[in-house]
Amino acid sequence: MSEYINIFNVILRRDLILAFRDKTDFINSLFFFIIVITLFPLSFGTKSTIVNEIIPGMIWISALLATCLTLETIFRSDFEDGSIEQLTLSRYPLTLLVSAKIFAHWITFGIPLIIISLLMGILLSLSNEIIMALFITLILGTPILSLLGSVMVALTIGLRGGMLLNLLILPLSMPVLIFSTVAIQNAASNQSMIAEVYFLAGILVLTITLAPLATAAALRIRLS
Amino acid sequence: MSKFSINNLECVRQNNILFKGLSLTMEDGALLQINGANGSGKSSLLQICAGLIQITTGEVLWNNININQQRYEFQSNILYIGHANAIKATLTVEENMTIIHSLTGSKSKINYSAILKKIGMSGMNKIFAYNMSAGQKRRLGLIRLFMAKSKLWFLDEPFNALDKEGKKIIENLIISHCDNGGITIFTTHQRMEINGRPLQSINLGNNNV
Repeated sequence: MSEYINIFNVILRRDLILAFRDKTDFINSLFFFIIVITLFPLSFGTKSTIVNEIIPGMIWISALLATCLTLETIFRSDFEDGSIEQLTLSRYPLTLLVSAKIFAHWITFGIPLIIISLLMGILLSLSNEIIMALFITLILGTPILSLLGSVMVALTIGLRGGMLLNLLILPLSMPVLIFSTVAIQNAASNQSMIAEVYFLAGILVLTITLAPLATAAALRIRLS
Repeated sequence: MSKFSINNLECVRQNNILFKGLSLTMEDGALLQINGANGSGKSSLLQICAGLIQITTGEVLWNNININQQRYEFQSNILYIGHANAIKATLTVEENMTIIHSLTGSKSKINYSAILKKIGMSGMNKIFAYNMSAGQKRRLGLIRLFMAKSKLWFLDEPFNALDKEGKKIIENLIISHCDNGGITIFTTHQRMEINGRPLQSINLGNNNV
């Protein structure tokens, strides 16, 4: 068991170092995220009713699009330099190794995304309840996006044509988007959002359990 | 005594049969060279043997058990080095070695300088892989041969981009691996100097199917 935790940490640290040394992809998509969010008040105006109603949903959609831009980085370089063959043929379960890679993706992209969303929320003077709801839904939702995305990336990696990935991932992330935005709307009208949060947490547990298995299987298919 | 065998293998790529009915058995100390023109299926055969490519016809056996039924048992006994070096350009030589070492599952401490000296890269510990030449990258990829304690080696064009001295190091390594009871399967277009070891070989290509 400790051996497995050890190798998980090694791969996690490896991917974090790699992301830190080659950060253009992440920085660019975070800037894309910021710019898209700032476009909305410019086009819709800054009346507080409109801002509070529309902006949280817009932040969520922007988060979704920005995530799509970075997903490929989970496996692209490993696929190009042959590392994925070494991971697949190592003595450790591939599921465990890809879990570490997905976790690294969430740390390098999901966490900065959450922090920036909160800052943007404050900047656009959203109400405190909405910022809180945004925080809770993002912290449950962004790992789901990384997990679902990894399966799709594993299926499509190496195929030229990046749009295919987006076409696969966007429909799959609809439930997350629906539950998150409904939760935020409820919070805005001072209602309970506990049901939606439970649903998001449920989806998160489901994807944590199944997505790494599916990713490993998809990678094996892509390699043969 | 371990035994690696392939049984009635067939490989089809883009509706072309690359080879079929390929059978072979190898025991401790065996050395097998796969020959063939470009595109004749050498790499595919290696990848099938290593379990990277799943096949529909035929089977690959390790100690008489199909490798798909004992994947991790089999995978802790093999070392596969493909065309790509599988090293990270933005990591230093030492960092690359640390990851390779962890993936072999070895618990012992790693002596970077000693291993680098063996492969002729002394003093390069802190150099980033993107600063290295093609031959040096190949050597770093092949450093797995020194670090893994695997019984079964699959090497795809190991001598590519290597200079004379590098080729000599790897040849000697392969020979001593086989002397110690290991099994090596490799592809190459170059002449091997293997001083009297029995060398099996398969020729792939249209003439031999």
